[in-house]
Amino acid sequence: MIGEKAIHNVGAGAVRVAQEVGGIVVLTWQVLRALVPPRIDRRELFKNLYKMGNKSVPIVVLTAFFAGGLMTLQAGPFVKKLGATSLAGWGAGYAVLREIGPILIGLMFSGRVGANNTAELATMTVTEQLDGLRALAIDPIKFLVVPRVIAMVVMLVVLTVLGDLVALLGSSVVAKVMLDIDWSTMYYSFVDNLKPADFLTGIYKSIAFGGSIAVSSCYFGVTVRGGAVGVGKAVNAAVVAAAVSIMLLDFFLTYLSSH
Amino acid sequence: MSDDRAFVEWREVTKSFGGKAVLKGMNLAVAKGEVMYIIGTSGVGKSVTIKLLLGLLRIDGGEILFDGQRVDTLPESKLAPLRKRIGMVFQSSTLFDSMTLAENVGLPLRKHGKLGHHASLVEAKKRLEQVYMGEYAERYPAELSDGMRKRAAIARTLALNPEVVLFDEPTTGLDPVSARRVDRLIRELAEKLGVTAIVVSHDPPSIFGVADRVAFLYKGLVHVVATPAELKASPDPIVQQFIGGKSTGPMETPGF
Amino acid sequence: MTWVRTRIENLGAGVASVYRAAIELWLVYVGTIAGLFRRGRNSPRGELTRQLYSIGNKSLVFIIVTLGMIGMVMTYEACMQLSRVTGDYSQVGMQFLRLIISDMGPTLTALMLATRVGAGIAAEVGSMKVTEQIDALRMSGVLPIDYLIVPRFLASWIMTLMLSVIGATVMYAAGGLTAQYNFGVNPNTFFDLSQIRPRHVILFLVKASSYGAAIPVVAGFCGLRARGSSEGVGWATTAAVIGASFAVITLDFIISAAALFLTGGDL
Repeated sequence: MIGEKAIHNVGAGAVRVAQEVGGIVVLTWQVLRALVPPRIDRRELFKNLYKMGNKSVPIVVLTAFFAGGLMTLQAGPFVKKLGATSLAGWGAGYAVLREIGPILIGLMFSGRVGANNTAELATMTVTEQLDGLRALAIDPIKFLVVPRVIAMVVMLVVLTVLGDLVALLGSSVVAKVMLDIDWSTMYYSFVDNLKPADFLTGIYKSIAFGGSIAVSSCYFGVTVRGGAVGVGKAVNAAVVAAAVSIMLLDFFLTYLSSH
Repeated sequence: MSDDRAFVEWREVTKSFGGKAVLKGMNLAVAKGEVMYIIGTSGVGKSVTIKLLLGLLRIDGGEILFDGQRVDTLPESKLAPLRKRIGMVFQSSTLFDSMTLAENVGLPLRKHGKLGHHASLVEAKKRLEQVYMGEYAERYPAELSDGMRKRAAIARTLALNPEVVLFDEPTTGLDPVSARRVDRLIRELAEKLGVTAIVVSHDPPSIFGVADRVAFLYKGLVHVVATPAELKASPDPIVQQFIGGKSTGPMETPGF
Repeated sequence: MTWVRTRIENLGAGVASVYRAAIELWLVYVGTIAGLFRRGRNSPRGELTRQLYSIGNKSLVFIIVTLGMIGMVMTYEACMQLSRVTGDYSQVGMQFLRLIISDMGPTLTALMLATRVGAGIAAEVGSMKVTEQIDALRMSGVLPIDYLIVPRFLASWIMTLMLSVIGATVMYAAGGLTAQYNFGVNPNTFFDLSQIRPRHVILFLVKASSYGAAIPVVAGFCGLRARGSSEGVGWATTAAVIGASFAVITLDFIISAAALFLTGGDL
């Protein structure tokens, strides 16, 4: 009997996940269709760019600094043991640019901007402001969702560029302070070993991550049900969906970029 | 109950939520320029009725006509022209939190009136002055009282010069003074601008002060349509129980 | 000059509010620890089991999927780099395991849990706060922290430890499969446990339990601070996700740095 119930629960869970994924795909399609021809509400776009940038820059800078430092902390002892300090920047920089940078910045961005966006849209939905828009013959997808999606993608790319630089700085600081590796050693280690492709792979990833964070955060915002409790649940669902899609996309993009 | 003069008409409309039938084939015709009140107990489907007209909710069966055209069959993408001609003032005002009152009222002007941002704000201020809210144009909705928000919401709805305005419980939750001001505004709309108003309410002073005709919704159907005077004089015990606000009587109310 | 003054005033107000928040956070933390010793009086029966289930079991699939993915990606990247330089994969598994145990396993698990569990706790507690259920608890003589935070604290602490073990295992296994399929690394070479020292395991336990303790306190604190209605709950949930994630990264940095000092650079 317990087995039957467990199977039932797993099945129900799978159906729910499939529904959410379907909904997100439909919303993605609607957003893409609204982009042709591109009639974007510019005021909403700039308002969101400003707000999202303002909110996320401090947390992204701090996260990136720690992430860069952590990479040196992890690679450092190994490098020192082998006496190959000129490789410290290679290991740390490669991991930061290709993986840790985009993933950590994406996760923090999802937590800060994505979650905030879901909360805002969800509050608008439960207080009938979306119906208010529709009653004014304004399409909520075109007016609210499209500018937000664009703003989030653009902002995450900008933040990833900024975060990459800060992370490399962080790994150099940690190398100097904790492992006594010279600034110039780290600098030449970065310059000699890191290729533009490493940097670009991270940027491609951030575009994909930004899109998936944006669409899932908007989706859970506009489909919320049931008052304050619903808003909390929507934010929860949005950040979880964003985290899963970041990991899945990272996996596929890593394979794609090397085949 | 077809009516040649009908500007807005519900024919045999049915609607249920999760297996619970709310509307069971209701009929109602509203003439051009009239102030029609839809009254009834909570949960009887008054708000649903007007949201169906705008396509915010979809009917299960029947027809809805506006200006001689069927509107219930239009897909969401074709509803924009209809929604420019029919405005709605929601119970919760639904002003956008992140915008000032002027930006709120200016939004439909900017989106549909081909006005730039600044021109829309100037025009919005004029519209706000018409509802005596001009001095609050730069304030955000959260800083204002319910009555003020309601008046601003009315100004926003009127921005597109609609021919029909739907009001969802416009006086509920307002203090008596604000409520009468909103009543006066509805009456002025009909008399000065010739706007057709359909008002959902269960506020007796509002009903008997403003309405041309009243439709009493009961058990998913329009129980009676009458002028306020006829309603007061009606011998129907159910009508008398409702307008008298008595707790006992022949009326069947779900949940009690 | 007025511009400068306003800036300074803003900064001052910012510092003051951060200071107040820090004090409140500290009070929630102390209250939770004190609540652990008062257990039994205020906690409802069965609440711990319920929380263990909702924090632990319900995060299982999430942790397995995300950590499995990242395990594959990291191994793949490492092997790709090596194939360009030496082509010698014999060290990959060993170093990967060392990295997983001393850092990635608990940290990535906790980062994932910070989003799922942190947001969940803040949403629940925040909803109760704005619907005045917390005040109702107080009125009936129950300490909200004992009733709400303590069971979640215990459950999160236990489950973060267990899920870190599961997450690390999945990550390692996924890495091993990738190495074998894509680069032909012999599983016997990859799954080599000989380099693991007790200090790595201690670091694993210290990290996992610090994260497990930090997430519910930060999230509970954010939930208890919720004001207003749906907007307040949304704000609290957002703050919890970012606060808990940032706590994990900061703790990771501090603990890793401390460990490096304690072991004299030989980690």
